Amino acid sequence: MSVIISEPDDDRVPPEIVASVFYSATVSDNLALVVAEVVAGRARINWCNVGAIDLLGYGLDDLRALPVDQLFPSLGGGELRLLLRRERAARMTLPVRTASGATVEAVVTTTPSPSGRMWTIRILSTTNEQERALRATADAHERRFSTLTERSPVPTLLSEQGMRLSHVNDAFCSLVGRRAEQLLGTGWMDTVHAEDLDTVIEQVSDALEGQEVETQVRLTREDGSVRTTVIRFAHLFTPGVGAGFVGTIEDITDRLAFEATLAHQANHDPLTGLPNRTLLARYVADRFVPGTGGLACLFLDLDNFKVVNDSLGHTAGDELLTEVAARLGAVVRPGDLVARFGGDEFLVVCEHVDQAAAVALAERISAELARPVRLGGVDVRPYASVGVTVQTDEHTDAEELIRDCDIAMYQAKAGGKGRITVLDQRAREQARDKLRLVAELRDAIERGDITLLYQPIFSTRDGRPVAVESLARWTHAERGPISPAVFVPLAEESGLIAGLGLLVLDETCRQLAEWDRLMGDGAPPRANVNVSALQLDANLPAQVAEALQRHGLHSSRISIEITESALMKDPDSARLVLFQLREQGVELAIDDFGTGYSSLAYLRHLPVNCLKVDRSFVAELAHGHTEIASAVIALARSLNLSTVAEGVETPEQAAELTRLGATYLQGFSLSQPMTGSGTAAWFATRGEPTR
Amino acid sequence: MTVTPLSAPPPAFDLEKVLASIDTMAAQRPVAAQVVTVANGEDTSAKVLSRILASDVALATRVMKLANSAYFGMRGRVTSLQFAVTVVGFTTVRTMATVALTELDDESRLPENFWDVTTCLALAAATLAPRFGERPPDALCVGLLAQMGAALLHHNDPDGYAELVAEHPDVTGRRAAELRRYGVHSVRLTAVALEQWGFPHSMTGRLNQIDDFTSLEGGLLRAAFEVASRLTADDHDPVPIMRLTCGQLREDDLVPVLDSVRADADELRRAMLGE
Repeated sequence: MSVIISEPDDDRVPPEIVASVFYSATVSDNLALVVAEVVAGRARINWCNVGAIDLLGYGLDDLRALPVDQLFPSLGGGELRLLLRRERAARMTLPVRTASGATVEAVVTTTPSPSGRMWTIRILSTTNEQERALRATADAHERRFSTLTERSPVPTLLSEQGMRLSHVNDAFCSLVGRRAEQLLGTGWMDTVHAEDLDTVIEQVSDALEGQEVETQVRLTREDGSVRTTVIRFAHLFTPGVGAGFVGTIEDITDRLAFEATLAHQANHDPLTGLPNRTLLARYVADRFVPGTGGLACLFLDLDNFKVVNDSLGHTAGDELLTEVAARLGAVVRPGDLVARFGGDEFLVVCEHVDQAAAVALAERISAELARPVRLGGVDVRPYASVGVTVQTDEHTDAEELIRDCDIAMYQAKAGGKGRITVLDQRAREQARDKLRLVAELRDAIERGDITLLYQPIFSTRDGRPVAVESLARWTHAERGPISPAVFVPLAEESGLIAGLGLLVLDETCRQLAEWDRLMGDGAPPRANVNVSALQLDANLPAQVAEALQRHGLHSSRISIEITESALMKDPDSARLVLFQLREQGVELAIDDFGTGYSSLAYLRHLPVNCLKVDRSFVAELAHGHTEIASAVIALARSLNLSTVAEGVETPEQAAELTRLGATYLQGFSLSQPMTGSGTAAWFATRGEPTR
Repeated sequence: MTVTPLSAPPPAFDLEKVLASIDTMAAQRPVAAQVVTVANGEDTSAKVLSRILASDVALATRVMKLANSAYFGMRGRVTSLQFAVTVVGFTTVRTMATVALTELDDESRLPENFWDVTTCLALAAATLAPRFGERPPDALCVGLLAQMGAALLHHNDPDGYAELVAEHPDVTGRRAAELRRYGVHSVRLTAVALEQWGFPHSMTGRLNQIDDFTSLEGGLLRAAFEVASRLTADDHDPVPIMRLTCGQLREDDLVPVLDSVRADADELRRAMLGE
């Protein structure tokens, strides 16, 4: 709908103006349209629509011929020309004066007619209800957002452009101890630790390009202290403006410190503060490059540490360890690692040294340690045995290097205390050989390759065989027979003794049962089985009972031989085990009697049946020394125990031992150890029942 | 009392012609003109804008240079034009395109010290913007373009304008003189041109309010002009900043601003002019 202001016969609105109006805009009541024309050198209104009347509030007559400049009070001087241009359309946002004198902010677009004397003027109020509502909503959003970030305890950054910030909240200001003005723009970059700045810029780049990223960043506070943080960057896009980011910061300084404490505790010995075995292994592994040299390990074991612990107490022992740790730390070269391997063992790892330098260091350490330490009023000189190993081409991993210096230390200790030993090629080979042998022994035990021989034991009363002793034998496929004096200690050291012991026990019982089946009453009446100190625990009685039961034997068919030294390792528990065995009806003998240090009073309270006179005392008989053998035999007799004299090699010895009152004899001169079937045959030829 | 009649514009100066000349310039730099048109569209992306920008090597180089300047803190990390557009923002790209198409990059056609003043003006406006609740990037752009009107007046009336500037070293007084001589002052002329090209009213409005001393919005630009004058004119007689900013700023507030503007001005100038 339009209103013609001009009088009917006056100059009417030219058709081209009307056309331009309708082509240039969709006419609605919301849109105010007026047409202006230059009359007598001044632009005046000559037409308007209803929207214009509504917006401007003028009556029809008032608008007629109203000078255009009165509508636009802000266009002072000649500025109306800027709006009403002759050759092109123009657009301005400016206040429009209404009839009441109030102004309305509006976007005004003008389009000239081809004559350049008339213009269509569109006035679009920017303050209509809808726009106001939209703006109010946007403002409310903005306020909510700023309140949220302002009050948030999470330090927050809001970007403006690139690395530039337009906003930081209070939490970020307190985190870095600076004022917002110092941080806006690129100011906050000064708080980023110099080494982390490149990373931050990269992360910001990624965020600006649309990614969500996070990175660990150190921030420097105004006072110079450093906080470690995780900054998470999120992409922001504002249409028509471009990309930005929001950064939220988590201060992880305290968490990291706590984690570092935990990690330190996991990798360090709490007493001395030195790296522990775990860290040592990693340290050496990290530096070990096969085929190169220059890495050396020194393994130290304090001599007589147990004496200090036992005599002066654990507190003094701990003090000693702490002092040793401090001395080691002081004497090694910068960059060397000192670790506590465990107990009284320490390890020093050096890089870029040859053997001479490593030994020189070991000497310095020994000298330093040998200075007296005052513990509980006593001066103690903490000597150490030191094993030295320098990496060679033959070391294939870090573990091997540490193991070698452990071996070297044991060699040093074996050679006498307070020594330094370098692991040489021969020693290394021996050690490796031993390792191989352990593996082969394990296989032999698993496959049952350990065989038993049986040596008869004779009664001195009538010369008849009354028992056999089971003797384990190992014949190696390549090395031939290996002495029990070699493989039994090896089994004990390498944790194979339990398996070996069970094998001997079970095989002996099986053999007894077989002899019973074959020979009936002519079978050997009893078999003596040796038990290692390491087997002497609460499991042994049950194991013996099971073996006997498995093969249907009476418990009296077995005698368990235990060395005197095994009994003395843990006398109380040994006594308990022996009583259980005895209750089961198993006989007990003390092997190698007289070689240990057992107290006779203690012996009296053990439920044993028999003492075995050690072969060394029997051998002395040949040289006329009967004292110990006769004393042992007399002692046994007074305690009402029987005796077996071992290692009888001549008829003279047999006669002498019989004269001294030994109950039983055993030895090469009487009978060699024999296989199971050999034993059966041997007993059969004796031709009479033994039981 | 002496009444000075408002002098009519000299016959040699046709404002209509001046404005028309901008359109002619735009025709000579079609890529820059396209950037100006496209940059602030709601659906504009850095990808689209950089694709257009790539056809104007000189302009693209300047945008890259600005993106890598200390002002944006990216330290040479901006290696693609698209990312450069993202970093500097669409309004700034549009501003640089406007500079190119109005030949503000040709110093031979500009009043003396034009870019020294302009860079200080822009940086001061951006730095002070948060104090006035304004977005610093928009303020930077307003500052960069504020003197465009002066350049146009100088271009169309070199001798007359030079004389006017010499007579009125103070910018407020100079604007009054411009209004008398040309019927419009240079900042107003800038606003008209920018509005013509569709720059948002939020930007052009600041230019229009420069002489309304009760307006805080105009205060930012007045303060920025004052900072620029203090930094570039040896014989400038400082105007109290409180008076220029409706009490929003104190002299103390200006000290760090003067320092930071002085520090960044050269680099911004080089980026804008592609030196």
